[in-house]
Amino acid sequence: MGRVGIIGVGHSRFGKRSDASLRELAFEAYREALDDAEIDTSDIDASLVCSATHYDKQRSPAGVVAEYLGLNPAPTFNVEAACASSAVGLRTAWALVNSRLHDIVAIVGVQKMTELSSDEIQELMGRAGDVMWESPFGTTMPAYYAMYANAHMARYGTTQEQMALVPVKNRKYGTKNPKAMFQKPVEIEEVLKSRMVSYPLKLYDCCANADGAACILVASRNKVQKLSDRPVWIAGLGLASSPMSLAGRTGPMTSFQVTKNAAKEAYKMARVLPRDVDIAEVHDSFSITEILNYEDLGFARPGTGAKLLEREETDLGGRIPVNIDGGLIAKGHPVGATGAGQITALVKQLRGEAGDLQVDNAKVGLAQNIGGIGMYAAVTILRG
Amino acid sequence: MGFEKFGKHGYVSHAKVAPIVDYLKKGELAGTKCLECDSLYFPPKADCPKCRSTKFDWVPLNENCKLITFTEVFFAPPEFQKETPYLLGLAELEEGPRVFAPIDSRITRDYLKPGALLALHPSTNENGAFYQLEKREQNYLRKR
Repeated sequence: MGRVGIIGVGHSRFGKRSDASLRELAFEAYREALDDAEIDTSDIDASLVCSATHYDKQRSPAGVVAEYLGLNPAPTFNVEAACASSAVGLRTAWALVNSRLHDIVAIVGVQKMTELSSDEIQELMGRAGDVMWESPFGTTMPAYYAMYANAHMARYGTTQEQMALVPVKNRKYGTKNPKAMFQKPVEIEEVLKSRMVSYPLKLYDCCANADGAACILVASRNKVQKLSDRPVWIAGLGLASSPMSLAGRTGPMTSFQVTKNAAKEAYKMARVLPRDVDIAEVHDSFSITEILNYEDLGFARPGTGAKLLEREETDLGGRIPVNIDGGLIAKGHPVGATGAGQITALVKQLRGEAGDLQVDNAKVGLAQNIGGIGMYAAVTILRG
Repeated sequence: MGFEKFGKHGYVSHAKVAPIVDYLKKGELAGTKCLECDSLYFPPKADCPKCRSTKFDWVPLNENCKLITFTEVFFAPPEFQKETPYLLGLAELEEGPRVFAPIDSRITRDYLKPGALLALHPSTNENGAFYQLEKREQNYLRKR
């Protein structure tokens, strides 16, 4: 039993949601989470709206989201940590509940990205890195991760064929997740032949911008025991930072120190080791990222991450299934919703509600969420 | 004012370290050195996070460096689309600091292995001034 638990989760369909606005997407996830927890809006003491707000047309979206969900006059505010916004929201909510300031807090991760014109999106993309010293040379999000990929390839012999196994695996599971953006599998050849984005990353190595929302309801131990007959506890939380500039980082650029630091904190708090993890959701913003994450989280030794894919150890039925809800690559990446989406998948697994994708006897789940180009990383460990 | 002249397309105008543009225009590579604790910064910093001093001097830098990693960009932000594909690199200067910089278009991808010997050389374009990673030999010939 932990001090703070999850009593409900909800998840909208991710993808190009031309049918829905930001607030309506938030409502889809929120409604599902309340139904799941069997509570009402009046039970919620505060809401944290998590999004990378520069993608939204609405400025300070917590204002309209809280209004639309009927959450006034309870406190609400935005949490922003780029792609890790809702993982940081979960950490913030944990602190609010553990401090006894609030009993039940809603974390609403939401993002509306496809409404931006492609010029707007590309202009934003150009400012993903250090805007003084790196963006003036034409950087992109894929370019930064591609630089890690090239370093890993040169040092360990990792190949583009091995990287292609990530979208092949994750798109395969996306076909079983009705809420995923992409419902069709891909073959290795298609990945390798897809358009080059930033060498060596090709179109199918990259996740896609998407619209979507996911909601997590957390509660104090007393409330959890009262309200939930199948609680999931927050056992470990880790959050760390790295220099935002690539030039500010050290080492051979074959791993994310920020993930290692966050993982160390989370494992210590949860008192578990990497081998104790039954199921994981990791930040596969790009194929190479999933491979680095295996190594940085301690699932594989440095340089051997791709071997896990070759041996199908991260598939359903393998030693440690990873991203078997499709991951970012199949589900799409509505930035602010992604972290809460990962937690939603883990909660279903730890309750034994994952249907065809259920991992036998799943007790410990781990989610890892990277922010931006690796300046933030959050690792969350849940226990069923 | 003036910092928008740094790089191939500048986004930021105001900076205490804007004089880097003038050094680069003169063909000089300059960093900053903290006058209190001697820490060397490149790219330059007006403030020292180690000792919190705000007193610094501009100092010349040795251009020799080696490659850490690179990429070739095919899908670019709007301002850079006419240049695609182009190479970007991360290199470590002999004096310690790392630098993120474009790579000379005369260099091909097969040369770009981690550890490859390069030189960071000032350059200019219609926007203003920047630096780029070049082969050391090319640089040597230019100087002669």
